[in-house]
Amino acid sequence: MAFREKSAWVMAAVTGLAGLYYLNLIVAIARDLGEVPPAAGAFVPFVILIIAASIAAQVALAILEPREADRPADERERPILAVAGNWSGLVLGIGAVTALLHFLYYKDGDLLFHMVMGSLILSQFSEYLFQILLFRRGV
Amino acid sequence: MGKRPPITNRVREMRESHGGMSQAALGEAIGVTRQTVIAIEQGRYSPSLESAFRIARLFGVGVEDVFGWEE
Repeated sequence: MAFREKSAWVMAAVTGLAGLYYLNLIVAIARDLGEVPPAAGAFVPFVILIIAASIAAQVALAILEPREADRPADERERPILAVAGNWSGLVLGIGAVTALLHFLYYKDGDLLFHMVMGSLILSQFSEYLFQILLFRRGV
Repeated sequence: MGKRPPITNRVREMRESHGGMSQAALGEAIGVTRQTVIAIEQGRYSPSLESAFRIARLFGVGVEDVFGWEE
């Protein structure tokens, strides 16, 4: 398995787990308050977790395979990374437009925040999945 | 992406006839990953013109001796 595919697997796991952690915090807040306002108590730990876990994961990968980590993407990997980025941009766009349309009809700012936040997490997660898919499809 | 390119190649044959050079060594020599060499050999990926020339020059042959067009 190429270094960049390994990296995509690890980052997909990090993003997925951090996303679940965030969802868990939101559910806990909702249980306590009976509603789901945007809360720094969920947002800040999530951001700290995802940054710290991403750095730790990339450092671990670089220690395991220093030469591969240092090498730039090759001619086959570059278009794969670009296409995965484009597709994940579509995921983000669809999520953001859905959130805006929902806000237009229901005027629920709390849900707007959560839908945009969810779209950001899903978009990043999907980017790694698209990379894995394209790497495994062997293009 | 996805559609198999109509370009054939003899990279594996050339590699094996040159002392059984490994895919990793060939990748290292031309500046791509082993997975890209595998994709080229399996006909799933057509290398850039630069990489095609690098492969041919490494084996001391012309590009047309390594790569062909499948009619």
